[in-house]
Amino acid sequence: MGLPLLSLIVFTPAVGAALLLLLRGDGAVRWTALGVTILDLALCIAMLAGFDTTTHAMQFVERHRWVPALGITFSLGVDGISALFVFLTALLGTVCVLASWAAIDRRVKAFMVSLLVMQALMLGVFCALDLFLFYVCWEAMLIPMYLIIGVWGGEGRVYAAFKFFLYTLAGSLVFLVGVIALYFQGGETFDIIALTAHNLPFAVQSWLFFAFLIAFAVKVPMVPVHTWLPDAHVQAPTAGSIILAGVLLKMGAYGFLRFSLPMLPEASLYYSTLMLALSALAIVYGGLLALAQDDLKKLVAYSSISHMGFVTLGIFALNLRGLQGGILQMFNHGVTTGALFLLVGLIYERTHTRSIADYGGLMKLAPVYTSFLALFTLSSMALPGTNSFVGELLVLSGGFAANLALGAVAVLGALLSAAYLLGMYGRVSLGPVSAAGLSKIRDVNAREMAAIVPLAIFVLWVGLYPKPFLSIIDASVRHLLVQVHGAGSGP
Amino acid sequence: MNAAALYQSALASLPEIVVVIGACMLLILGQVVRKKRHDLFVWVSIAVVLVAALFTLVPAGGAGPAYAGMFIADRFSVFFKLIFYLATLLTFLLSRKYADFEGIGSSEYYVLLLFALSGMMIMASATDLLSIYVGLELTVICTYVLTGFLRRERRSNEAALKYVILGAVSTGIFLYGVSLVYGLTGTTQLDAMGAAVTGDPVDPGLLLAVVFVIAGLVFKVGAVPFHMWLPDVYEGAPTTITAFMSVGPKAAGFAVILRVFLNPLVAESNAWIVVAVLAVVTMALGSFVALVQDNFKRLLAYSSIAHAGFALFGVVAGGTDGIASVMLYLLIYAFMNLGIFAAVIMMRNGTSSGEVIEDYAGFARPHPVLALLMLLYLFSLAGIPPTAGFFAKFYVLVALVARGHVLLAVVAVLLSAVAAYFYIRIVMLVYMREPKRAFEPALTPMVGAALAVTAAGTIGIGLFPAWFLRLAQQSVFGG
Repeated sequence: MGLPLLSLIVFTPAVGAALLLLLRGDGAVRWTALGVTILDLALCIAMLAGFDTTTHAMQFVERHRWVPALGITFSLGVDGISALFVFLTALLGTVCVLASWAAIDRRVKAFMVSLLVMQALMLGVFCALDLFLFYVCWEAMLIPMYLIIGVWGGEGRVYAAFKFFLYTLAGSLVFLVGVIALYFQGGETFDIIALTAHNLPFAVQSWLFFAFLIAFAVKVPMVPVHTWLPDAHVQAPTAGSIILAGVLLKMGAYGFLRFSLPMLPEASLYYSTLMLALSALAIVYGGLLALAQDDLKKLVAYSSISHMGFVTLGIFALNLRGLQGGILQMFNHGVTTGALFLLVGLIYERTHTRSIADYGGLMKLAPVYTSFLALFTLSSMALPGTNSFVGELLVLSGGFAANLALGAVAVLGALLSAAYLLGMYGRVSLGPVSAAGLSKIRDVNAREMAAIVPLAIFVLWVGLYPKPFLSIIDASVRHLLVQVHGAGSGP
Repeated sequence: MNAAALYQSALASLPEIVVVIGACMLLILGQVVRKKRHDLFVWVSIAVVLVAALFTLVPAGGAGPAYAGMFIADRFSVFFKLIFYLATLLTFLLSRKYADFEGIGSSEYYVLLLFALSGMMIMASATDLLSIYVGLELTVICTYVLTGFLRRERRSNEAALKYVILGAVSTGIFLYGVSLVYGLTGTTQLDAMGAAVTGDPVDPGLLLAVVFVIAGLVFKVGAVPFHMWLPDVYEGAPTTITAFMSVGPKAAGFAVILRVFLNPLVAESNAWIVVAVLAVVTMALGSFVALVQDNFKRLLAYSSIAHAGFALFGVVAGGTDGIASVMLYLLIYAFMNLGIFAAVIMMRNGTSSGEVIEDYAGFARPHPVLALLMLLYLFSLAGIPPTAGFFAKFYVLVALVARGHVLLAVVAVLLSAVAAYFYIRIVMLVYMREPKRAFEPALTPMVGAALAVTAAGTIGIGLFPAWFLRLAQQSVFGG
């Protein structure tokens, strides 16, 4: 293989960020940032085009020495699961630049640099085949994200940024000790593939499972440790919310898929009921909280907790449909919730209010906007024909197979999501025009359209023809199941 | 000792001799050149250190014991001497402008720094409790005077007095421990001591002796419960001297601790439990008390207590990795801590003291590059990758877990999460507040060079730690 494609994908945004530092003028910075993210997206599409869906093995693998004395390498590679999220990250990266075009009007250069550094690190997380590299990217993300929330956020940005930082840091540090312990238990290597092949005693697996759980559960977030999310989401600028919801939350679930399940299979099986229960709790609790919100962003934020509950439910169902659904739902949630945050951001730029009570009859004023809002709202509540329907259906059928009672609780969450989402849509778009201030509102322009339309395409594409997406992940999911249940017992 | 042996010994200690002679020459020069020739003092001092560094890297003598087993110029001491040179050189660069502001006109300032350097070098090379004592005293007596160098400032005088009194007590304790060791084993040489006691490890007299020696040494690195002097001294001393003390003498103290603690004598007495307790308490106290500081220098004082605690975890781990992790930690700490001190020293300009943390609010707006450097140092001190501070902590944790101290590792990381709060609070002030006043940092070319060197070290070791890691591992004594 000649071209180090994954290195190019990971380092393009980083080099772009360095390039931005040399530029002057906000316009040049914006266009360059857009160019860099589009180039990165094109590289990702090239990667997907060359992706072999018939194998579960890592593809486009690169290995370089980094710290030989500790067995640390700079290794990149993707399998079906990570390939999907590499693409999602690059897609949302472009959307984020477009979403920040007019919304960010001060310190534009610093913002775009943070955004691109963030993108490089997120891609690094998904491509890393070395646990040390993974951890470095995972934790280094805190720096740009802390700045994005804290410098360009809303009123309570400083508090939100602190909370986000400390929550995630505390979780990650315990994970770090787990990583080091795994290093010694797994034969002094940080190579993810070698560690996956290593069989650990059950007691060790249990300890590591909980050390990892703390870090991943904070990121997902699962219910007892979710409280940073509403603050961070609400205070972050639009692009920050899109990154948080679209990619950052996926990393927790990705951690389960990449580390907990294949490396700690017995512990994952043993504690799966606990995880299912926490997931069901998140689904219902997040839904109930969303029902009570008046702030648009908060509503979407709490709905994220609920929807990520579906993801973890699918993953810890530990059967084929559950895993397929969970992974597909990760992708769907990234697209749909990213789009919802984008739409909330667009309307906020115009009216400077996020309170649902301030809106009404938007359909008459901004028909294109409300049509998109309708599409993504329906997608979020998993209407047949949209992407989330496919994902949630698979998750629920997997969940029922794994645990009937908890699957039934999860269905309740699906009902709740219909209630709060339809309620929100009705109050915002339908009815008479409520406030005089709304009447001068402007519909979406071409730039905003360019950000929304790609996401809308994926909503319908996955909803109507999910086969290409399922086939990307298929081989890897089946292999994962063999790893969890052991070659002998079968899934 | 015959003439040939003396000659060999002198060759082995050539860097120390260079520094001492250089300091003496500078002292005379300071009397001869009467006019305000600060630049001359700075450049001569830098030249002296560079010559010493040259003789350290290209040793004239052998690496065997010298001066009848009291001194050794092994790779371990070379590694530490490089840290000392780095700290001293950067202190010289930072001092030039600062000395003008504070009215430090005399050459004695530079002379004392050079003598302190020679003391630290002797500490790193000492293999006998008595030569350790000589190096220790040479270092601290110079820092006593330097602490009180701002003669007209009360804070500085008070700090110096406090430092002298407490320092003298701790030295007394250390000497008492040494005398007990001598009484029990009949020797003060570290290697001979180890050989003399392998028989009876639970001798209560021995334990007492070890406790006294430990107490005397941890005073120098500012570990709890001998940390009381540190915040006051750090706050009162000239900021350049605070920067120097937080890196140089602290590293020298750890060099001695590593040599003494990892001696069979101490290993036999189960002292690691004592050190583990000290490490936890030190780190906890440093991290929690730093949370409520408003004065930048005081905050960095408590931060340095917390970092000493983390480095002590490496001492607890022991073995090649444990020792190497402490060494690497101190090297990285030198870069990042001098970096953040360079920022504080730079802010000492005109009416600004540079010491009030609130004064940094909104600094990023007019000075984005300097703010970015501060961000780099602060995140490195907090231990966030990809900075060097992360790798330093990571390697200590690896050493700890390798020895099975998983619980200690968990405690260490949780306390470092606490410590992260006060570093990112400064980042918050710098980036997320509106500036209340104009900033005029004293960014001279010398300060700029210091910032560049520390930034390169902080990010460079973070991204490419392999070479430095190997250097530390190869410099471990006996390994």
